[in-house]
Amino acid sequence: MITSKELLNNLISDEKLGYCQNCGSCTASCPMAKVIPETYNPRKLLQRIHLDPEKTADTEDLWLCAWCYRCTERCPQGIQPTEIFLLTRNFATDKGKIPPNPRAIITEILNSGRSMPYDEFIDELREDYGLPPIGKIPEKVLEEQRIISGADFIKKVKK
Amino acid sequence: MNLEYSLYPGCVATTREIGYELAVRNVFDKLNIKLNKVEDFSCCQPACLVHSIDYVKGLALTSRNLAVAEEFDLPMMTLCSSCYGNLSRAKYLLDTNSKLKDEVNKLLGKVGREYKGTVQIEHVVTCLYNHYKIENLKKYIIKPLNNLRVAPFYGCHIFMPAKYGAFDDPEHPSKLDELITVTGAESLEYAEKTSCCIGCGSFFGKVSEEASILLAENILKSASEKNADTIVTTCPFCIMQLEIGQIKLREKDLSFNIPILHYVDILGLSLGFDPDELGFDLRRININPVLSKL
Repeated sequence: MITSKELLNNLISDEKLGYCQNCGSCTASCPMAKVIPETYNPRKLLQRIHLDPEKTADTEDLWLCAWCYRCTERCPQGIQPTEIFLLTRNFATDKGKIPPNPRAIITEILNSGRSMPYDEFIDELREDYGLPPIGKIPEKVLEEQRIISGADFIKKVKK
Repeated sequence: MNLEYSLYPGCVATTREIGYELAVRNVFDKLNIKLNKVEDFSCCQPACLVHSIDYVKGLALTSRNLAVAEEFDLPMMTLCSSCYGNLSRAKYLLDTNSKLKDEVNKLLGKVGREYKGTVQIEHVVTCLYNHYKIENLKKYIIKPLNNLRVAPFYGCHIFMPAKYGAFDDPEHPSKLDELITVTGAESLEYAEKTSCCIGCGSFFGKVSEEASILLAENILKSASEKNADTIVTTCPFCIMQLEIGQIKLREKDLSFNIPILHYVDILGLSLGFDPDELGFDLRRININPVLSKL
């Protein structure tokens, strides 16, 4: 079985992260760091994860990565900050730490199969524009999602 | 030219951006690009959310959609760049790591599915550029948009990271510009062309929400300095962000009034469609600055 820890260790091993030249391309490329530089700095976040992933998982800025991949695209040393941040979040969620908005959206996906809530009004509007109805995602698909997720995943997400 | 796809509709286009979906269906119908309905797709399970809870199970949930698509032996057509990027990422990670692929297939096996790796993932814009091709599009342009000044906004997930499913060079892209030029419009150079709308981070909390509005301000300012009549994107999420950002900036007395359109919207205009056939009455920012230039 492959764990998140194992995958993270492959990406942040001393050897791999030792390649970091501290050039700051990641921070210079980051749209979040551009507008909130006092709050968010992916280069420093990466160093903190390297030193202590479990402790860094508790910090709120781990959830500020907007997942654009510009840092991953630009890193001259092939370090993958975006994937590293996603994997480190797994440690936070193991301890039940999921910010309210992501928790609400993931719960919606588990419950309805969509990230945006469906109601009949949507199909009424679609009909007005000559679009076919989307209806609810079939129960069979939701059951498949539940089986793949497993009880632990669902317990983590649902409060 | 006849092309056929399994339509992967995604959550945003079908529930929040149905004007865009209408434009895709009408334009593709005219171009003889067939989109088939598939019952068993669900949300692409964005990595920034679902894989943040559990990386491997998240990948399995995303790959369930890829396994469904493989049963139909047709390429997938995504409407949203984030669906395109997220599905392409899952495909790349599984195709390059056999241990991870086995692990995911163990989970998919519990519901009688298997990811084989045969799936081809496309997006409205990748299909038009790579498969339909510009020379064929040209034959359909009956109303060239000669006076329209367009600021192209590529959006992140259509080309980053390049190895996951690159549509174009992420540093110096030109393909959306080329597609815009085909419609007769002028494609402008401006500073924020390859910027991020923070659509995928804006809903994480107060700090990221505020950051997304600051970024929208940069993008809108940069485009308006070049007197752009419209910003044209590849992604319905970018449309939502830049429209809602504009409305929120009005509360701060920054009154931008730049219509935000998808590429198929301006293509549709140049193909001779009326604004109501492209769902323009559903746009959050008034579209008249574009229509008055035609």
